[in-house]
Amino acid sequence: MDIKTERFTELAKIELQNAHTRLFLKLMPPVLTAKRDAALTTFPDIAAAQAYGASIRAEAIARLPELLEEFEKNATANGAKVFWARDDTEANEIIKNLAVERGVKYVTKGKSMVTEETSLNEVLSHAGVEAWETDLGEFIAQQLHRPPFHIVGPAINVPVQEVCDLFMEKAGLKEPTLDPVQLGYCARLFLRDKFHHVQMGITGVNVAVAETGTIINVENEGNIRFTKSSPVTQVSVMSLEKVVPTMKDALHLIRLLCRNCTGQRLSAYISMDSGPKKKDEIDGPEELFIVIVDNGRSKIYQDLKARDALRCIRCAACLNICPVYRQIGGYAYGWAYSGPMGQILNPLLLGLDRTQELYRASTLCGACKSVCPVGIDHPNLFLYYRAKDVLGDPNFKSKDRPWAERQFFKMWSWAASRPWLWNWGVRMVRPYFNKDANDGVISKGQGPFEGWFRNRDMPAMAWRTFHERWKEKLRSKG
Amino acid sequence: MEQSVRDEILSKLKAAAQKEIPPRPSMPPLHELSLSREELIATFTKNLVEETGIVHRVKNNQEALEKLTEVAKTEGLKKVMVTTDDVVAPLDLPAWGKKNGVEVMTPRDFPDRHSYRNAVFDEAEAGITGADFAVAESGTLGLVHNKDQARLVSLAPILHIALVPVDRIYPVYEQVIEKVFGNVGATGWSPEIGPAGSSTEPSTRALAEGLAEVRSPLPSQFVFITGPSMTGDIQGALFKGMHGPRKVIVILVG
Repeated sequence: MDIKTERFTELAKIELQNAHTRLFLKLMPPVLTAKRDAALTTFPDIAAAQAYGASIRAEAIARLPELLEEFEKNATANGAKVFWARDDTEANEIIKNLAVERGVKYVTKGKSMVTEETSLNEVLSHAGVEAWETDLGEFIAQQLHRPPFHIVGPAINVPVQEVCDLFMEKAGLKEPTLDPVQLGYCARLFLRDKFHHVQMGITGVNVAVAETGTIINVENEGNIRFTKSSPVTQVSVMSLEKVVPTMKDALHLIRLLCRNCTGQRLSAYISMDSGPKKKDEIDGPEELFIVIVDNGRSKIYQDLKARDALRCIRCAACLNICPVYRQIGGYAYGWAYSGPMGQILNPLLLGLDRTQELYRASTLCGACKSVCPVGIDHPNLFLYYRAKDVLGDPNFKSKDRPWAERQFFKMWSWAASRPWLWNWGVRMVRPYFNKDANDGVISKGQGPFEGWFRNRDMPAMAWRTFHERWKEKLRSKG
Repeated sequence: MEQSVRDEILSKLKAAAQKEIPPRPSMPPLHELSLSREELIATFTKNLVEETGIVHRVKNNQEALEKLTEVAKTEGLKKVMVTTDDVVAPLDLPAWGKKNGVEVMTPRDFPDRHSYRNAVFDEAEAGITGADFAVAESGTLGLVHNKDQARLVSLAPILHIALVPVDRIYPVYEQVIEKVFGNVGATGWSPEIGPAGSSTEPSTRALAEGLAEVRSPLPSQFVFITGPSMTGDIQGALFKGMHGPRKVIVILVG
């Protein structure tokens, strides 16, 4: 996938002009948020349920290396073969080789964000192995060569007419139709043929369980179950933070995931694999490969604060409630992860330098934090990234601010920490600063300050500061 | 080389500064735990119907067969795939099929995976299975996949009919998970849904004593099914039967 995170502002502006996106965003995210809120009321104590989810993920991250070892040991005992990959290239190479060695012509894929991250499909296709995304939204996004608009409904914004045209061209649709159900049925038939004859399936992993070596997938469509039942070879790809201590932990997280994600008590299918099929079973994979992908996460893990981002279980509640996402949708974030979730993950995975706008495009209102079922403090992380970026940290690939800006703030901090200088400065600057004031309000600025005033005003500086008035008061009394 | 990548990643993680493991709060309350048997059945039914599942209740196996005949008639079933699990096998569905003009296939009838796959994808108009568990909290079926519970039977045909003895309905997932996965290590898990934190202990202990090796094998796949296959991926319009069954009919027995 092309990474376009550097073009955030430009892409956001384009989406702000897109009437269809605007209409769609007015309807969908508020509906999803309302469904979420309703679903959470099925918990007798919502706060306790969410807090317990946070404690599971907090423990999982704190015990990460130990849990990964336990998971690997148990998954291997179950008969799975576990691979480790340092980065996208290594992960793709492992999976490509598995496909090529087995001579498969194509694979079916369940939605997997980590393979979006590694651009696996392109690598497979270069090796002559076709990769079919089988989640309906992912299938549409793949055929249109678009990034996911929403992590749960990757193509949910695509107009029906466009889906119709696409299916006429690529999925064997005979008669044009604007009925989403008929279009869905067309995709069913087309992809069913792929499932029927597939030899190797690739899936992501929602949760990996240390104590049993089990991998779990959560879905509504059944494409992942097909991908894990029909072929003789199964490859499941997980980023290394997916592991939790126990099966019970996993199930509670899934409770939270489904409610926060689609407003369901439970998704239609939760499938839990512990090893390949037994000899006497007629379906299921004869061989199960699990690829554990690092791709920058062990580096993120070095930072005690930033590692909290690894708690994320990709429920997308933060997207639906975010006032920024609700205006611009998912494309502007420029990569696999969008919304506040993308704003905390993309900068860590790609570097602060390539994601400059992402952690700044926030009002810090904290709506994301308020819905997060695993206790991530997004606004705090945004501020942390901003500070890291400005102060400079090679581990985060920070990008220095322009020379003039740095000098300005150096002077500012020097002056602001010396009261005599500050007070003198205030007296000097005040007449100039207030010259455009209108009714006590300044509405425009000059030079580098112009942008700040584009959407807001600043109160004029008081003609007498508090200190000055206080002194006067004391004098008049004395 | 593979080993070195693994060790490199793990040693990097281990070298990182460690935070104290935050304490676990107590497990949040779940009100299904206090329900009576009949209330559990009612809750299971209500939750499954909300997900557009269809639920019938019959008294015994004889009535279950009659209900099945009725369903076969209304759905116009001519050819079905049936598992051989412990709920369905005693019903002798092949004999039932002969009597009712429905061709009944089982995965065992097929010499190989290939021909079975063709039949379950292209010929079966419905898949009929038992269920090992049901969960009231979300109207969910739990199927342990093994030689008698093939995976594609409840997935590939457009209609899934499941027979569930009512005593297999549990209040919440944890109890079912314990039944399926609870044989981890000889020490097992504490059976009650206790204050967590305690739940991490047995597995660590099992690992330390090397008990993980002697556990009985886990099922290759365990699946929770809640209603039909569905999607909202085109403009949020709900579509049932995206890849799996469009309709799920549950016959509660007992």
